[in-house]
Amino acid sequence: MSEMWVNMGPQHPMTHGLWNLRVRIEGEVIKDVEPEMGYLHRGIEKISEDRHYNEIITLMDRTCYVAGLAWEQLFIVAAEQALHITPPERAEYIRVLSAEFQRIASHIMWYAAFVQDIGLMTPFLYGMRDRDLILDLFQSYTGGRLTYEYMRVGGVRNDLPLGLTDRCRKVCDWLMDRFVEYDRLCLSSTPFHERCDGLGVLEAPEAIAYGVTGPMLRSAGSRRDLRKDRPYSVYDKLQFDVATATTADVTGRYLVRMEEMRQAVRIIRQCLDWLDDHPGPVMAAQLPRWLGAPYAPVGNEAYLLKRNYPTGVGFSMVEEPHGEAGAYIVNDGGEHPYRVKFRSPVLINIWASKRYLPGYRVADIPPIMGSVDVCVGECDR
Amino acid sequence: MSTITLFSASDAIAAFLLAHIAYVFPAPVKGWITSGDVVLGLASLIFGVILLGASMINTIMLIWWERKLLGRFMDRRGAMHVGFAGLLQNFADGLKLFRKDTFRPSKADSLGFWMSPTAYMVTSVVIFGILPISTGWNGGSLPLTLLLALVIFSFAPLFIFLGAWASNNKYALIGGMRSAAQMIAYEVPILLAVVAVVVLSGSFNLTTIVLEQRNYWFWAPLFLALIVFLTGMLAEMERIPFDLPEAEAELVEGWNTEYGGMLFAFFMLADYVRYLVGSILVVLLFLGGWTLPTYVPSALTSFPLAGIFWFMVKAYLVFGGFVWVRASLPRIRTDQLLRLGWMRMVPLALLSVVLAALVVAAHCLPVLGCVPSMGG
Repeated sequence: MSEMWVNMGPQHPMTHGLWNLRVRIEGEVIKDVEPEMGYLHRGIEKISEDRHYNEIITLMDRTCYVAGLAWEQLFIVAAEQALHITPPERAEYIRVLSAEFQRIASHIMWYAAFVQDIGLMTPFLYGMRDRDLILDLFQSYTGGRLTYEYMRVGGVRNDLPLGLTDRCRKVCDWLMDRFVEYDRLCLSSTPFHERCDGLGVLEAPEAIAYGVTGPMLRSAGSRRDLRKDRPYSVYDKLQFDVATATTADVTGRYLVRMEEMRQAVRIIRQCLDWLDDHPGPVMAAQLPRWLGAPYAPVGNEAYLLKRNYPTGVGFSMVEEPHGEAGAYIVNDGGEHPYRVKFRSPVLINIWASKRYLPGYRVADIPPIMGSVDVCVGECDR
Repeated sequence: MSTITLFSASDAIAAFLLAHIAYVFPAPVKGWITSGDVVLGLASLIFGVILLGASMINTIMLIWWERKLLGRFMDRRGAMHVGFAGLLQNFADGLKLFRKDTFRPSKADSLGFWMSPTAYMVTSVVIFGILPISTGWNGGSLPLTLLLALVIFSFAPLFIFLGAWASNNKYALIGGMRSAAQMIAYEVPILLAVVAVVVLSGSFNLTTIVLEQRNYWFWAPLFLALIVFLTGMLAEMERIPFDLPEAEAELVEGWNTEYGGMLFAFFMLADYVRYLVGSILVVLLFLGGWTLPTYVPSALTSFPLAGIFWFMVKAYLVFGGFVWVRASLPRIRTDQLLRLGWMRMVPLALLSVVLAALVVAAHCLPVLGCVPSMGG
């Protein structure tokens, strides 16, 4: 059969979102690929210029709809830097707890979607079932299951309800059992290895050259993890290992994510112990008045406020479930940021597909692209 | 008590009907209407309608069975709300598909596009006419039923490829080509596995093959052939792990991407007809058909229609095995599938033919006993 271009997207079961992978195939062999992004662009960076800092948090939930709290944390770290606010330590621990639970939820979501891509239906439903437990936890202390709007500049919205830490511990125990089950369903099955071993290989030097981060980079043996290399929040006080693999292929990414979930449980357990022992405030005491205001001030007041507060620049990098996310905020003294810029790890990881897809077969596209963990919301922003 | 067969029942119904309408007609017509030929003709028609209805209902029940089983494997319940335990859910789904608009993409080839689902459906359903369900419950005991069934069963890739090509869709075309390659590749091990059964039973007649399993079922000496046959059937049925012609992750829906509404329902129904036929063939060839082992208490085999009952139980259990495989295995790739077919299945099938020949040479096996036609 001669060469032809096939559009895998924008509406295609492989894409997990709204994007288009144009593939040039000869028979079943991939010759070239061309990702087309932008179908889900909502102008979040631009909208942010017209929002209160605390209102931008609602946008962060919608940036990546499977890792809302991780993106809230990303924005909060940069915003607090730009506004010269220090949150209380308890709030930091609650944020780390939330972010790590979010990491597990996101990785389980990835697992469910990924196994669906290679034709396994049962683990998909197991994954969704177990993710629900984490969403239940989120619901009980943030009120939301998908869009949380929980973190605030200067802390978090509310403290954990009574008894939540014990519930979290129970969920952690249950999850640790389930991870064993996940591995048994996948790693112990020969067809799984036939579909995943040696596919989508992206070695560490190439990955770094492309700017690929997160589990994709760590699966190539690199030990880069922002939580260790550039610790933010309270990660420097917590013990955990960086999950790595050596094969740089789909199976490697699977192993890295599975190990990351176990390490996340380890971090969560430490956070829970700390939170039990250290009650205290969860919001900073000295906050600008307008940060607590529900609505933007109108008229002259906004002009006046603009004069009254310090200016600053905030930059944060966070090890988000998909990779390294970055936020850059310029505060020119107003109640809105002057400019906001986000770095999406998924966008870079998808663009590197020009390197790691050609040469494989059409049937390999779903496992390979599935192993990237695509979240188009953060990709297009 | 004379045994009721499906044909004698249809014959009785036809004779009854004709006798009761005949009196309104004048004498010559009356005589002709009640003559043997007309009764036979109507009886054949009624026979066909009953068979079609039974097979369709069984097919739809098979979908229910798969949904419920899959649900349990996946820690959920499956269809629950329409009818008792969701029994009517698939009828409701069928009705919904029936009411949907059926359309053809403007660039698709009209003849091939419409013909493919129809031909696929018809060639799948026709096999029911020749499969013996129980003694006397078949359309006719031809000497080469097994061969005929397999021949009709292997028509499918032709019509699938026709529909895929006519759809004028790249996904459909890739799916159609995969389907054709896969089905043709797995014909070979299936036929070789069947040869092992034929060697042992000495017949191509499915009824005879079942009756030859009076002393022991053929899966015991021909375990290898059973494995090959089951694997081959999975590939022929295009079920996970061999469902790559319709691998939804990369090919959307494979060869039936462009089919919607009733045409899709035709494909899906025909697929399940093929699943049912596949399970039935396994039961007929390896699991003793409608017979039960002799040590089973006779109360279990003497109630009315016991043969059909046990036959269907076995067929549904075999299909349950296929569902179990679907619930636990991922999909493999085309090259892996073809390699498995030619490098593993064909040698294994050849080995099983040799084993069957050895069993025949030995006449009687130590524990199992003898095949009746060989002096048992």
